[in-house]
Amino acid sequence: MAEDLINTLADLKEKEALKIVEERLSAGEEPLKILDDARGAMEIVGKRFAAGEYFIPELVYSGELLKRINDMVKPKLAKAINVKPQGKVVLGTVAGDIHDIGKDIVAFMLDVNGFEVYDLGVDVPAQKFVEKIKESGAPIVGLSGFLTLAYDSMKQTVEAIKDAGLRNKVKIMIGGGQINEEIRKYTGTDAYGRDAMAAVNLAKKFMGKE
Amino acid sequence: MSAREGIKLIGTPSTYEAREKRFYDAVSLTKPDRVPIASFAVFFLTKYSGLTNAKAMYDYDKMAKAWKQSMQRLNWDMAPLHQSVFAGPVMEITGLKAFKWPGYNLADDALYQYVENEYMMADEYDEFLTDPGSFTIRKALPRMASVFEPLAILPALPSFAFGYSIFTVVSTFVGIPGFPQMMETLIKTGREMNRYNAAQARLVKDLASMGFPCITGGFTFTAFDWLCVLLRGLKGTMLDMFQQPNKVKAVIERLIPYTIEQAVAVTQMTGNRRVMIPLWRGAAGFMSDKHFAEFYWPSLKQLLLALIEQGITPMPWFEGDYTPRLKYLAELPRGKVAGHFDRVDKKKFKEILGNVMCFWGDVPPQLLVTGTPEEVRDYVKGLIAFFSDRGGLIVDGAVEGIPAEAKPENVEAMTEAVFEYGVY
Repeated sequence: MAEDLINTLADLKEKEALKIVEERLSAGEEPLKILDDARGAMEIVGKRFAAGEYFIPELVYSGELLKRINDMVKPKLAKAINVKPQGKVVLGTVAGDIHDIGKDIVAFMLDVNGFEVYDLGVDVPAQKFVEKIKESGAPIVGLSGFLTLAYDSMKQTVEAIKDAGLRNKVKIMIGGGQINEEIRKYTGTDAYGRDAMAAVNLAKKFMGKE
Repeated sequence: MSAREGIKLIGTPSTYEAREKRFYDAVSLTKPDRVPIASFAVFFLTKYSGLTNAKAMYDYDKMAKAWKQSMQRLNWDMAPLHQSVFAGPVMEITGLKAFKWPGYNLADDALYQYVENEYMMADEYDEFLTDPGSFTIRKALPRMASVFEPLAILPALPSFAFGYSIFTVVSTFVGIPGFPQMMETLIKTGREMNRYNAAQARLVKDLASMGFPCITGGFTFTAFDWLCVLLRGLKGTMLDMFQQPNKVKAVIERLIPYTIEQAVAVTQMTGNRRVMIPLWRGAAGFMSDKHFAEFYWPSLKQLLLALIEQGITPMPWFEGDYTPRLKYLAELPRGKVAGHFDRVDKKKFKEILGNVMCFWGDVPPQLLVTGTPEEVRDYVKGLIAFFSDRGGLIVDGAVEGIPAEAKPENVEAMTEAVFEYGVY
């Protein structure tokens, strides 16, 4: 049964996957076990994305299916799930840039991989990052940007984090359409990732988990 | 940034005709006298002459002056003017919600940016398919700009035209709440737009008398992007591709004639036979090859072929990595499409498209913003050398042309390198 859900969900078979969830719930199965399997399926989705078998449509669709399963399972949970997160990440699109597609996908992949994500949205002023780092104590910061104006906004955000005395308390990763190694050096950040799975792998590495 | 007034031009001057010929020689894959340089810069040109982006959008005459001054100095073969610097006041008067821009709700030196939203909902495909005109007037426009909100209560458009309704429906317009105010705002918008258009037309004429043709007079969209970016948004469209694929395809099919008509209309309006087509969601990272073949390519191919048929030069912007899609582009006729590239494996490009399409690009934005003039010069030298055996090269920055944040000395180095190494 577990394999059935993991595989049908990873294969994005909407009807079959939802039917299995329904059957397992009505058979009185432990809801947490179902969510675990769904998470397992998302791991496969992430791997297929990294391998170039899945792309954005598949990620978006898998996210929608996961949301539906969550909605079905959550009312049956005896108590709120209290899983210790893999780590906390403060994430946002930097000042002047309102593009959210890449950032949203990174937030989703970090979330399904067990990270607690503080998503600050788009056009985020440097100071807002600083405040959220202080408030959450997150050791990882993700800066997203699609436009070339994001280079300087990222640099200024790093400066603000430095000025607040937090630079040695956080690892900063950047990503977006026009980001590469040159921009990582230019902005003085710790790493850049090409896509959402790269962000997950970097976050795990920062936490000393891989 | 310094207004580089009084500095002499880079390279040697050319005539309008010589520049046109140089461009088309490259597009048609014959060797021109020199590699042409045609850039899609937007705010770089105004910044280069000392204007903020906000000022450029709000002061049409200063924008035009800056444009001419920068072109004079940079001496590119074509001037980028694709309605590129929008009219801030017009956007503001209409209460445009589909954009954010400098001088209004973004910082003075930000780029204007499209607000991708669901302007069409998941359950509105049938309504669109039945009558795209009524959907556009009653649903899409009110969602995109506040001035159009009163349109939401109009009856379906065909019902305006029974003889019986002409004297009732039309005359009751003024009685519909918000309509008289909307009309007043639209008149104001129209007057402001005329001011903008007149300034732009003067600029096109001035540039021509300085010997600079404009790259294009305007743009159109390909059907998938029209749906995905302009109507449904990325998330909505991508779910629809799984949950209601036939409706997605039906809307794409329905949009194709409009994508062609839009291109033809701008060429008629401006007399410029080159039309830019920004491409957004067909790049390698965005969808699988299978989805590209199924949802993206057929309508794009139809658009390109229809424009070629009418003697228009399509200028698709292949934004993102197009390497896996080159095999599709090889289906196009030789030397008719001016493809502008961002990130592509150039060796594969030569193998697959070498006999089909010119290569227009691709000095990386990272280099232009953070590199040194020497690095830029070397890059351009290498680019020219790589294509020297076949011609068919036009030099520009990758993706958005020259980023506004590019260092002036790097853009000058790029331009100088073309004059120095680009003579065949």
